[in-house]
Amino acid sequence: MSTLQVVRLVAGRELRERIRSKAFRISCGVSLAFILAVAILPGVLSDDGPTTYDVGVFGEGAEQLGDRLPVVAGQLDDDLAIDVRRLGDAAEAERLVESGDLDAAVGDNRIVVDEELGGRLEFVVQEANRQVVAEATLSGAGVAPDVAGRVLTPQPLEVQALDPESDEDSAKEGLVFFGTILLYGQLLGFGYWVASGVVEEKASRVVEILLAKARPGQLLAGKVIGIGLLGLVQLVAFVVIGLLTAQLTGSVDLPPETVSVAVQVVLWFVLGFALYSCLFAVGGAMASRVEELQSTTTPLTFLAVASLFAAMNTGGDPTGRIAEIATFIPFSAPMVLPIRIAAGEVGLGTVVVAVAIVLASIVAAMMLAARVYAGGALHLRGQLALRKALRAG
Amino acid sequence: MLELVALTKRYGDVVALDGLSMTVAPGRIHGFVGRNGAGKTTTMRIALGLARPDAGEVRWKDRPVTAADRRGFGYMPEERGLYPKMTALDQIVYFARLSGMGPAEASTAAQAILESIGIGERSGEPVEQLSLGNQQRCQLAAALVTSPELLVLDEPFSGLDPVGVDALSGVLQTQVDQGTAVVYSSHQLELVERLSDEVTIIDQGRVVASGEVPTVRSSRGADRLKVELADGGTGWADGLTGAKVVGRDGNEVVLELLPGGDDQDVLDAARHAGRVRSFRREAPTLTELFREVVSS
Repeated sequence: MSTLQVVRLVAGRELRERIRSKAFRISCGVSLAFILAVAILPGVLSDDGPTTYDVGVFGEGAEQLGDRLPVVAGQLDDDLAIDVRRLGDAAEAERLVESGDLDAAVGDNRIVVDEELGGRLEFVVQEANRQVVAEATLSGAGVAPDVAGRVLTPQPLEVQALDPESDEDSAKEGLVFFGTILLYGQLLGFGYWVASGVVEEKASRVVEILLAKARPGQLLAGKVIGIGLLGLVQLVAFVVIGLLTAQLTGSVDLPPETVSVAVQVVLWFVLGFALYSCLFAVGGAMASRVEELQSTTTPLTFLAVASLFAAMNTGGDPTGRIAEIATFIPFSAPMVLPIRIAAGEVGLGTVVVAVAIVLASIVAAMMLAARVYAGGALHLRGQLALRKALRAG
Repeated sequence: MLELVALTKRYGDVVALDGLSMTVAPGRIHGFVGRNGAGKTTTMRIALGLARPDAGEVRWKDRPVTAADRRGFGYMPEERGLYPKMTALDQIVYFARLSGMGPAEASTAAQAILESIGIGERSGEPVEQLSLGNQQRCQLAAALVTSPELLVLDEPFSGLDPVGVDALSGVLQTQVDQGTAVVYSSHQLELVERLSDEVTIIDQGRVVASGEVPTVRSSRGADRLKVELADGGTGWADGLTGAKVVGRDGNEVVLELLPGGDDQDVLDAARHAGRVRSFRREAPTLTELFREVVSS
């Protein structure tokens, strides 16, 4: 039997058994719920329309104040509106505020509220009152109404941004952020599955039968490829489902780079998984029980978390020192580069060098993993020191 | 025929195998005995290619063994192990395919072997839901599914109840009748003596006795005299000068003749002590032989 046939058999078993496992179905469900929430919720939460307050006016100057309130509200915020009701007297105002029909009532130099006045509403009422009173005072002093108007409501200053952030930019940042989180989750989750898959075969002792049939390298390759394929298919499915949902519900504005970011996340998963899974296999080969995995994979988890932090930092500052260094470290490159490439902050030469570093690391990790796996596979009791496993392999 | 030729294996300072040689012939059951740590498992693992010898050679059918040969061997390791969540059938099919069988062939063979060892009806259940006995059967099925020409079983009888022992003995006999070469290790020496055509005893990585069971029994140590009186105990034998007591059981005493000793003198002494119920001369049992060779 050729190596390819053995690897295909082993990979096929991994795929089938993982898909059937409860753990896979649960993790699929949880991830999918998270992705749908990210794709749908922004639309639901932000699309709640303008805020409208019901405000009553009474007493002296009620007419002018009633006219002014909606104008001031509109100037402050497009989404802020005020429905004005003219009231007969203070008693009616208090009754309607108390019953909750009105958010506030203004007259007789006071604002009647039930418990408290919100910050924005208070600003609008006070400003409207200030303008009305000032207008009356100026008019009394003989100032012409148009002059008074210019004094009271001058032309607002225009904001000039030197490096304006477009809606598109922030949408892209958001997209890359979730892409990175997804990539990190898949790398760590499926990498850990490789480690636990290796140690489960040792703990159940089935590994001895397997080793009588196939070489350690073939078994390891099959396991990494089988679990990796599942991770890849799941990742592609998540990306497609997430983007389609966002597109169909229109809840998130997808920038034009969406497809290229998605493709990058998937491609970098392939490279990142090849690297991380081999090292997770080393962690698995060094343990003899699932409980020992925690300690043998800790350094790797630490690397992955540090890489995620580097990626988050890169998101905020794609040209910063951390971003530049992390580009050339094989563990962080798969998470940092998609962000830098999406930001257009990295040249082709840098990408080529970074990919070469990751590829070289993959080769080294595979050799290490094959050796430790061969040395540790029949070490069925207690945790194995790396040096001992290497010597036995 | 499997030939292990002058196998040597060290683990650090520990010598596991020290020039061990043995052969396992087709159509024969070969018992493999030795104390814990004598090198049985290491020998079997080297035969299967799970460990590399520092020196020596494994030969199959008069040539060095190949990976393809080994894939066809049936193996049951001492540490039993199957995938707990995989069904018995899927599991056996998987092992058959890893051994080089095609999909259809593997499926047919797996179903047939599971039927024949009595877990056909439960073959669709995950192994972890099977009883311990059925798990052991499943393990055996994994070794037998390729209809191997060589079957290597490390402690196959450990943990089996008498019914299980009989069943497994029957399966091995069937295999041997079909021409399979079977080698198995065991600490149950009475069983080895009863079941095996040939036996190899090893100690500290070296073969100390090997061959057909009757030959091995008579090759080492003097014949035993077993004398049973109707009553009167075994104290009469203590004063003998031509023989020494090597065992007692109720009124029966087992004696080993010393050089120059005469069995007729023993018989006279026994008759003098009481009514002799039985008097026989026997080669040492495997257990006796084993005790003798590994303690010397």
